[in-house]
Amino acid sequence: MTVNQSTQTSKISVRPAKRFPTIERLKEGWSVYKENLIGKIGLTLLVIFALMAVCSFFPPLIDPMYHPMTGVDPLITHSTGPSWRHWLGTDFIGRDILCQLLAGTRIAFMVGISAAFMSIFLGTVIGMIAGYAGKIADTLLMRLADMIMVMPTLLVVLILSSLFGQLNIWTIVLLIALFRWPGVSRVIRAQTLSLKERPFIEAAKVTGASHFRIIFRHIMPNVLPLSLLYMTFRVTSAIIIEAALAFLGFGDPSTVSWGMMLQWVWKTGHMFQAPYWLLPPGICISLLTLSFYMMGRAMEEVLDPRLRKEVAQE
Amino acid sequence: MEVRKFILKRFIEIFIIFFVILTVLFLLFRLAPGDPVTRMVDPTLTPEDSQYLIAQLGLDQPIGLQYLYYIKNFFTGNFGNSFHYGVTVSSIIWSRLPNTIILFTTSILLSAFVGIFLGKIASWQKGTKTDTWMTLGALVCHTLFLPWLAMLMIWIFGFKIGWFPLNGMISPKIWMDPSSGFWLKSLDVLHHMILPLATLFLIHFGSYLLLMRSSMLDTLKEDYILTARAKGLEEKTIRNKHAAPNAALPVVTSVGISLAFSLSGGALTETVFSWPGIGRELVFAVSNSDYPLAQGSFLLIAIVVLMANLVVDVLYAYLDPRIKY
Amino acid sequence: MALLTVENLSVGYHTRKGFLKSVQGVSFALAEGESLGLVGESGCGKTTIGMSLMGLLPENAAVTDGRILFEDTDLLKLSKKEIRQVRWKKIAMIFQAAMNALNPVHRVSEQIAEAILAHDTEISEETAMKQVESLFEVVGISPERMRDYPHQYSGGMKQRAIIAMALSCNPSLIIADEPTTALDVIVQDQILNAIKDFQKRLNVSLIFISHDIAVVADVCDSIGIMFAGQLVEYGNVKDVFDVPMHPYTRSLLASYLTLDKDIVQLDSKPGETPDLVNPTPGCRFSERCTVSKAACSLNTPEWVEISPTHKALCNQFK
Repeated sequence: MTVNQSTQTSKISVRPAKRFPTIERLKEGWSVYKENLIGKIGLTLLVIFALMAVCSFFPPLIDPMYHPMTGVDPLITHSTGPSWRHWLGTDFIGRDILCQLLAGTRIAFMVGISAAFMSIFLGTVIGMIAGYAGKIADTLLMRLADMIMVMPTLLVVLILSSLFGQLNIWTIVLLIALFRWPGVSRVIRAQTLSLKERPFIEAAKVTGASHFRIIFRHIMPNVLPLSLLYMTFRVTSAIIIEAALAFLGFGDPSTVSWGMMLQWVWKTGHMFQAPYWLLPPGICISLLTLSFYMMGRAMEEVLDPRLRKEVAQE
Repeated sequence: MEVRKFILKRFIEIFIIFFVILTVLFLLFRLAPGDPVTRMVDPTLTPEDSQYLIAQLGLDQPIGLQYLYYIKNFFTGNFGNSFHYGVTVSSIIWSRLPNTIILFTTSILLSAFVGIFLGKIASWQKGTKTDTWMTLGALVCHTLFLPWLAMLMIWIFGFKIGWFPLNGMISPKIWMDPSSGFWLKSLDVLHHMILPLATLFLIHFGSYLLLMRSSMLDTLKEDYILTARAKGLEEKTIRNKHAAPNAALPVVTSVGISLAFSLSGGALTETVFSWPGIGRELVFAVSNSDYPLAQGSFLLIAIVVLMANLVVDVLYAYLDPRIKY
Repeated sequence: MALLTVENLSVGYHTRKGFLKSVQGVSFALAEGESLGLVGESGCGKTTIGMSLMGLLPENAAVTDGRILFEDTDLLKLSKKEIRQVRWKKIAMIFQAAMNALNPVHRVSEQIAEAILAHDTEISEETAMKQVESLFEVVGISPERMRDYPHQYSGGMKQRAIIAMALSCNPSLIIADEPTTALDVIVQDQILNAIKDFQKRLNVSLIFISHDIAVVADVCDSIGIMFAGQLVEYGNVKDVFDVPMHPYTRSLLASYLTLDKDIVQLDSKPGETPDLVNPTPGCRFSERCTVSKAACSLNTPEWVEISPTHKALCNQFK
């Protein structure tokens, strides 16, 4: 009734599941998403990058010199600018920059999505447990979350890599996931707390459903959209952390990532001479993270009715 | 709750967090593969010197006692000697700390103020061209890859145009010259600081702008804004007096949460610009396996994050009467 | 002469599902010192009417038809600046205390003084504070608590402070939107008495919006029953209560049945609020009505005058 009713409801709309709730919700969500300019730009960028990642498999098949890591153009011994042979030029030992860039796309997607997925998984499970169990479990888990949250992830991973030696790409992914769950778990916990008071959870309890069943059957479907939203933001931060780590020289030496390309430009002193080498990796990192970030913001609008253009009412 | 009680509570919490970090770091240094002695004592020292250092750090003691030595050494400011510099870690850290704090605080304050101000404007003009461009600009700036932006800055403004020095914090020529006074020296530092500051500013102001914008939009839907409108107040009064102070509260909280992220960014900026701060020292120490220096600078960075968090809490308590009274 | 005349007011909202016709063809008049209660379930458009009177409709709302004559000026034709001067000075509002009607970061006294200062540029801040102090005495809060922040108040005190704020500019009309909802019964009673008290004493006109017909009966002279954006019964409180005509009114009264009144138990069928994007041309209540005939859902209902002070929108009495 009230014009401002929406402010009194919880931030993200949650409804008990209807029949075919997922499909219905997705349809409804998509219709909101479609109208969002930021969301459309983000999705377009993402599709372009996905194509780049797919393309990364082909150049090494054409000629071994196009292999991003080991392929060296026999005719070139120093960094050269763009040419027909090398569209974006070559690096300091004659490797093709375009091929490295394409391979880097694949790594970025891999790192971003897997780290984000793991941290979301951790954050969602921990958040649901903390919110549902309450009491000591809640206090302990949330204190732990606070503690991890104040730590600069990049610097912690740096210290760990100095202690445990060179980290491979999967260890890096795992470490990023381990340090990026607290933000998610806080949100999921708050959501679980409000869900816990809803009638349909009470009803499930009365009918004798186990805690496990309540958490995974009744609470999880309702917090999952929120987790998905946070996943896009986590992809962004995972890509940035990995790139920064590689840039500082602590990346996995057996992979070619954008951060590593930037490190090569920087360390070999090509910063001022080779803009064709300096610009592409940085643009790619920035645009890919931007695309996930934009999609996240558009999804936020889908999930949070308060952000939509209309003021829900009457 | 009373402000003093609130702050005391946060202080105790922060102290506990720090203690846990201290302990975890201790355990990590012992758990990592390899001998803790070679990690903490410079292998190039003479046997007598290294014996002395081992005794001082308690490395010949059982692990429980080692921990007590470690805690005691920390609180007496004894972090051991840097392998690379050959001097005590604390002397390096203390000389780097002010440089980090100058860059860190100015960049945070500047980006927060500008971000909040612009976010307020954007939210007020929601849906207009100004708003769209501001939001897009903020999004793009926020997701720029920091080291790359730093390099671009150096390349464009340092190398191509030549307005600013390429790196470092001071020009030796000016500082060696006995005739140059305080102002000239400060001006020189400022001249060096502009590029790193601009880099950090560009990265951070966007997130504050977006936060303030959405926080304002949330606040504008609150009932007290309707009350203010019903009272017949002018739109400007509603925005500045009723909406903005409330909208700024969540932004202040998020400044606290993003401090850790800002310090990571600070370390990257310091590294690319060769700004002699703790972040750069940490990166350097890690690259060169200078463990005592890495440990010391990491702990100090942790202290900086936690203290900055405390400052944010105090600020929050000051701004929100629900905590004050 | 009527202080306020609402003629054929229609308001709608642009929503994702289409144009939602929230209020349609509502007319009523209010004399000086008279109090009118608007009753209906949530979503019936009663708050929208209140907001239209204040010129506070949200951006996606549009007034499609009608006039709101207040002291002989059409409020709908005023510029933004002019309507701002009418607000609070002429028409004030009592909000629900359970809502965050008071700004949490400002002192209560400042928020009330602000209203006074906004409409009277001559007055000094000290005088305004003096006035706030006397207002606090009027509504029964100790002036010592003036400088507190809203969160330090109880629900009842907040509601009193809001009433004090509404009275601060001596308005000729006060709109009270669910002022007692979410308060416990005893406090609710106190607040109602406070409202009745100032209404009689200051001879101010009142529009009382509520979902609770009993509360309205207690406070108001006349009553308007609303259903799905339309006024369905309108008249003197006594007339409507004695001879409720519209089936919806009867069902409302039945759900608050007192022993001394002999009302035929007429339960309405359960049902949702009708579709307001594409409303039926017939009677909107027909689906839930227990006495409706087939023709009801086809023919547009018309007003039937029962007495000069009582009318209903129903085709059953033709």
